Amino acid sequence: MTTPATITVTAEIRRFDPSQDGEPRYQRFEVEGLANMSVLDVVRSIYENQAGDLAYQFACRIGRCGTCAMRVNGRPVLACQERCKEEMRIEPLTPFPVLRDLVVDRTEIESRLAALELAPKRDAQHPGKPEPIGADLAAKLCNMDSCLLCMVCVSACPAVDERPFDGPAFMLKLRHMAEHPADRGDRLGQALDHGMLECFNCDVCTQMCPADLSPAQAIRDFRKELVFGGVSKR
Amino acid sequence: MSGAATLPRNTTRQAEGALHGDIARLLHRFTGTVIVLFVLVHVIAQAVLHVPAFGMTKAAAPWLPVLQSQHWMHAALYFSIVFHTLYGLKLLASELGMRIEYRSALWVIVAISALVGLREVLRYAGI
Repeated sequence: MTTPATITVTAEIRRFDPSQDGEPRYQRFEVEGLANMSVLDVVRSIYENQAGDLAYQFACRIGRCGTCAMRVNGRPVLACQERCKEEMRIEPLTPFPVLRDLVVDRTEIESRLAALELAPKRDAQHPGKPEPIGADLAAKLCNMDSCLLCMVCVSACPAVDERPFDGPAFMLKLRHMAEHPADRGDRLGQALDHGMLECFNCDVCTQMCPADLSPAQAIRDFRKELVFGGVSKR
Repeated sequence: MSGAATLPRNTTRQAEGALHGDIARLLHRFTGTVIVLFVLVHVIAQAVLHVPAFGMTKAAAPWLPVLQSQHWMHAALYFSIVFHTLYGLKLLASELGMRIEYRSALWVIVAISALVGLREVLRYAGI
């Protein structure tokens, strides 16, 4: 039997408790463990053995819930999926307000999602039985619906930093509805209202998405629809 | 079976490596700035060199004509023009519905632009 490779990780974690601290500070920790530890393993080890007051959050640990998103060396990642490095600077997800340490306030995210009304807006009552849908479209909708809403793409997006743009995740959600055969809402109009034209089309969101989705393609589809018009759903 | 049973961990390494989108976006801005700056400097330099009223300035800046024919400057300019044009066209095409893979598109455009820039260097070298 071979001994698994081990690693000593030096993690610098941004600590900030608004009720006590005037300014954020960075605290260094050393963690020894298997070389294939995830960033979340490191954070959990620090919480369990060195800093019991460290605030962070996670749920599924398999990259399906999007709860553990944080910035590692300046890049937004899912902590449960990202392989640890010898030197890591771990920070909360930007540009969201920090509640404490690595926990961000998602109130605004949730309120924006609620405001977008991301359920099919029907112009007639539901028939009360399953509605037929093409296999390809169903697969596409399922794929788009696998967005974790982890906000990694929003944190990585340079346009969110510079311009009045809600972010790629919201555009993907709107596109999901725009593609839905039962939806009659003006999703293109909503996308425009939420800054769709501010996107640089740089595909950083596509590269960073932990669910392998392409919010940038959703935005491009909206832009194409803006120029050529959408496909009739009737 | 031999060796320790290890789970195939589905780890990512997103915090490492280049962000293609950032490279493309920054290069696009940088090359655009180079083109605008060159046009500005070029107009001023041509005025200084050819308008008699700027004769005094011309005499005080004998390096100006030399600066205009530097091979590295032409190489940078040609690289910038080609990159900015091709990347701009790529953005347009993708937004009008063409599916273009962003990683390969970036490196192909960089390679074409670098070849054109290199051609300028070689041209000055008489090759």
